[in-house]
Amino acid sequence: MTGDWKLKQVAVAAPNEPEKELLSGINLTFRKGAVTLLIGHNGSGKSTLLETLAGLRRLSGGQIDQGSEPLWQSGGKKQRLNKTIVMNTGIALQQSESQWFASTVKEEFEYSLRPYSAGAEERERRIADAMEQAGLPSELLERDPWTLSGGQQRRLAMACLLACEPEWLLLDEPTAGLDADGIRRLCAILDAHRAAGRGAVVATHDLDALLPLADEVAVIAGGTVREAAPAASWAETHAHEAAAPQAQRAQAQRALAQLRAAGFAPPASPSGAPWPAPRELAALLAAQRAANGSRTAERPSLQAAAAAAAQTSAAAAAAREPQAAPAAAPNSNRRLASRFDPRALIAAYLLLATTILLQHSWAGLAVGAAISLAVFIPLRAQIRPWMKAIRAYVIMTAIIAFIAGLHLSPFSFDWDPALQTIQRFSGLILVMMLGLPLMALVTPLRVQRSLEQTFGWLNRFKVPVMSVALTVTLIFRFIPLLAGEWGRYVKIAHARGKATTPVGSLPFRMLLPAMVPYIRSILRMAEQMADALEARGIGHPLAKPTQGLRLRFGREDVLIILAAAAAAVLLLLIK
Amino acid sequence: MFSEKYLAELTNVSVKPLTYGEQMKVQPYLLKDISISIAEGEWMNLIGRNGSGKSTLARLIAGFGAWHAEGKFYKDQSRFVTGQVPIVLQQPDASMVGSTPWEDVVMMLEQHGVEGMRIAGIAENALRQTGLHARMHQPVETLSGGQKQLTAIAGCLAVQSPMLILDEVTAMLDPEACIHVMDKVRELNNGGVTVIWITQKLEELAPGDRVVALEQGELRFDGEAEKLFERQVMSGLSPCEELGFTAPYVIQTAWELEALGVNLRPIPMTPEMLAKAVTPL
Repeated sequence: MTGDWKLKQVAVAAPNEPEKELLSGINLTFRKGAVTLLIGHNGSGKSTLLETLAGLRRLSGGQIDQGSEPLWQSGGKKQRLNKTIVMNTGIALQQSESQWFASTVKEEFEYSLRPYSAGAEERERRIADAMEQAGLPSELLERDPWTLSGGQQRRLAMACLLACEPEWLLLDEPTAGLDADGIRRLCAILDAHRAAGRGAVVATHDLDALLPLADEVAVIAGGTVREAAPAASWAETHAHEAAAPQAQRAQAQRALAQLRAAGFAPPASPSGAPWPAPRELAALLAAQRAANGSRTAERPSLQAAAAAAAQTSAAAAAAREPQAAPAAAPNSNRRLASRFDPRALIAAYLLLATTILLQHSWAGLAVGAAISLAVFIPLRAQIRPWMKAIRAYVIMTAIIAFIAGLHLSPFSFDWDPALQTIQRFSGLILVMMLGLPLMALVTPLRVQRSLEQTFGWLNRFKVPVMSVALTVTLIFRFIPLLAGEWGRYVKIAHARGKATTPVGSLPFRMLLPAMVPYIRSILRMAEQMADALEARGIGHPLAKPTQGLRLRFGREDVLIILAAAAAAVLLLLIK
Repeated sequence: MFSEKYLAELTNVSVKPLTYGEQMKVQPYLLKDISISIAEGEWMNLIGRNGSGKSTLARLIAGFGAWHAEGKFYKDQSRFVTGQVPIVLQQPDASMVGSTPWEDVVMMLEQHGVEGMRIAGIAENALRQTGLHARMHQPVETLSGGQKQLTAIAGCLAVQSPMLILDEVTAMLDPEACIHVMDKVRELNNGGVTVIWITQKLEELAPGDRVVALEQGELRFDGEAEKLFERQVMSGLSPCEELGFTAPYVIQTAWELEALGVNLRPIPMTPEMLAKAVTPL
């Protein structure tokens, strides 16, 4: 069967940004028959690491093996995931509880089990077992999954995972938002899973709930492993540092540190547990208190406690300002997004686009391409995310040109109509590519304001300029959210369908399981945004919006328009 | 008949999801017979299991959603400019309208009709107070969950919203970010803003806080946090245990000490308080 996970120098880069590493130099072993916690700040790379194990991220370096089998196999040209490992691994991502697409709970189970060749009887047994373990009554099988309560949907997500009986459970923040009962059940599931000799890797912030159960702890920071140790000894070392930052510590660890500082000697934690049970601690405290009760020499320890408390709060205060994440890149982005007046950019774009589209000669197009190139080179980073679409467009052009040049009777190829087609499409692609970076050069509010400032006078004629401008802002704001959500549900569908293709190429049959929850999620987001707008007073009859941001033409804006105008004149002359 | 100081007051309020005709009768109650009043400047923790009606109650108080409601619901309309109370959610992506924290706060101020000249100043001040000043021009996609929540909080601070509701905001945050967000909201509360804090983590309750616990849509506890953890003489159980919550480690230790005859009233709620309480003077 399967063995331990072994990660050697694993590195993962951000999609579309090959130079930005999300994970680097990860060397870790996850033992079978053990529960390993991944802990660390938000954004440290815990979720990325889990997704990498599940094959939902491409490696940019290093090697991942399970036992003696590699996760990625290079069969032929393209890399594929190892089917055995994929089938043995169950991952629950943060949105897994809203992954439903079938009309009954039973069908959801059937879908999860489809990749496994289990007989009807075996499937029934697995579903019943999983429902029981997750604490779902069997009457729910015929219900529509979306009519279940939020808590039940989370249990169902877990049950779908358990029904596959994976050797490995990879869980991302499984306790977030769970009530006490849900947490107890989760711990029981993890316990049973480990007792069966299987393994689990759990990314979590909830040390209070999960550290007592864990065998090992790996601390992730900035995309690398900062520390990896057995859970008990890790808890022990960190409990002794009275001044360690509050973060990364359970309340029990903080309590022990405080008591030590106050002159008590708390009992050593029993082997395998990160801290003593409340009862043992209480017994010891009561005894030590009785022994020291009358002694006045206790005063210093009170001072020590106060000092320790002060120290802790100072450390906490120091830790409070969340550490500066890489801020340099977004900052330069920002400067770009609010550097130019959107009106200047749009005017320049319209000038260039019209004059390029007027070109009907190869010479004119060549000049147009040269001018466009001068724009593309400084903006290459903003165009890169669109490269796939551009490539698709070029291929499409080639195909259309080929068809245009084809004669059937007699069968021959005529170059003239083919070249004409290419010429027309080349003009279009230049105009399209010039438009692509615009999104990165403006922010929605600035576009809204430029519309309001340019067309505001139309308000007098009852043209709803402000509403239109606000709608434009919201559409801009929503587009990146839509793309992000799609990415998430594709990952969930990919993991659940046990696809072996690299992520990004979702097999066609898994489209529906990604599409249905995606659409529901968009509707939910739309509702959330409507609430947010209402709470901001947008659309309130008494509201009289003001303008805190006014756009002004700067020198750079004038230069942009002049340059565009010069290019336009040149293009007109060539034509 | 309503006293001046209450910002909102519910009397025997029951709520069902809004449907039509006969269906309405068979719908289960989301909230049953709730009576609570919220005073100006109060910090109210709202706890309960998944599906106990916490979020429904919060949305009802905030003024969102369409319900079939019975009972009396009073809200001091003069204090709420837009009619609704902002709710900060666990994943606030879709509640952010601007593309940077600065834009989001500016847009909020614009909609509230604040004089244009003053907007930038007020916005930057609010962002400084929430510790987001260095990141105020960063695109929202690059912000962490906690920073997005802080942006929403900064907006409320800027328009001097009288009340703020936070729905399990710390569930996905790392402990450091939790402390940071919690501190900022406490600061806001000290400045007079009424806060409704929904949570599953009982460690977040502070001494003296008001706690309201719901179970299956019914109000089961409304009182000070200390009372929630106080074991009754008769049953030997605290309301916390009766409602099926897991008490924090410090509370459990205190209970064990009490069982051993060490009297620790009021019950210590933080590690610091525990250490101090057991140290003999």
